[in-house]
Amino acid sequence: MRIITHTCPDCGTVVSANELEANRVMKCPGLDCESVLRFADLPADDREHFLEHRERYRL
Amino acid sequence: MKGLILAGGTGSRLRPITHTGPKQLIPVANKPVLEYAVEDLREAGITDVGVVLGHKGREAIQAFLGDGSEFGVDVTYIVQGNPLGLAHAAGCAREFVGDDDFVMYLGDNLLNRGIGRLVEDFESGDYGASIALQGVDDPGAFGIAEVDEAGEVRRLVEKPDDPPSDLALIGIYVFSPAVFDAIEELEPSWRGELEITDAIQSLLDDGLAVRSHVVESWWKDTGKPGDVLEANRLVLSDIDPASEGTVEDGAETRGRIDTRDGAVVESGAVVRGPVSLGRDVTVKEGAYIGPYTSIGPNSTVADTHVENSVIIGDAEIDASERIVDSLVGSGATIASADDVLPDGQRLVVGANSDLKL
Ligand SMILES: [Zn+2]
Repeated sequence: MRIITHTCPDCGTVVSANELEANRVMKCPGLDCESVLRFADLPADDREHFLEHRERYRL
Repeated sequence: MKGLILAGGTGSRLRPITHTGPKQLIPVANKPVLEYAVEDLREAGITDVGVVLGHKGREAIQAFLGDGSEFGVDVTYIVQGNPLGLAHAAGCAREFVGDDDFVMYLGDNLLNRGIGRLVEDFESGDYGASIALQGVDDPGAFGIAEVDEAGEVRRLVEKPDDPPSDLALIGIYVFSPAVFDAIEELEPSWRGELEITDAIQSLLDDGLAVRSHVVESWWKDTGKPGDVLEANRLVLSDIDPASEGTVEDGAETRGRIDTRDGAVVESGAVVRGPVSLGRDVTVKEGAYIGPYTSIGPNSTVADTHVENSVIIGDAEIDASERIVDSLVGSGATIASADDVLPDGQRLVVGANSDLKL
């Protein structure tokens, strides 16, 4: 199973695609980081894959 | 080598304690379980540590660990979100780990002797992984490894009807980055999770060698209240006690008593170690604290007998009763009903509590 993550460019905190997708737009969960992370920041290919197999990324 | 601590999970078997915080922060001998994992990694020379967070208790864990500097490590947080299995948690760390090897440590596990030997064993050869194992009485309830005379793993079986050995996988592993490709190839199991045992089996199927390391001294998974008490007992049996607190003249003490700053054993109190008394704990006259008890910060115990228990902290305990084998959440008040009519127990008890009166 493909595991898709996004790394905050400012603080290095890693966020999984399921978390990004659930929020669409979120404040970076890194400590004292003000960056905004978006599901749309993921490469198009990753987003497509995630949305096609969305049920596998839920529990 | 990097470290990866898994600190997700719902802690459902530790309710109500985990209604207010993650299980990884439950204190054992006045130190959160998670801190033992961080220390084990640091002592093995691993200072680059990823911490995988689920939905539950994320902020509390970040508030506790911070950037790791207080604990001598450098922490990177990895938000797994949905609990899609241990292999998914590991897979989320791919970018963090890069081309390094890494130790994966379940954040609610405690090991007596650290991970130095496990890491040495892994580094002694060309291995895809090394897994920590321990003999168990009921191998049908665990993931079990079949191991040859040289300590190489032949195969893994999950909860076998006919176990090939009694060696169960415990929650500590060393992986080469080859595991990430194995994880990508996995399909979710019947329970919808990516299983770490499947990832290790896949390494074996691909012809990589997997080393085993049998842990001879104790190991504990603190998933249930009884396990927390047992872990507390094991850690206290071996504790090198601090003596920051005060034992007044006229207090009766015996055995190892670990006291933190501001802790007071007042005259007329009895404390029999091994016991740990956290910051600003007061044991008042008439109280008895028996062996294998840890009392968390800012708690007061008066008139009560407490033994083989973990009091998490900020508790007021003043009842002419014996409290044994108990796990008491933070901010709890236990008082006497002796002078209150009508006769009977009076309880304000959180959801999923477990009381024996
Ligand atoms: Zn950030």
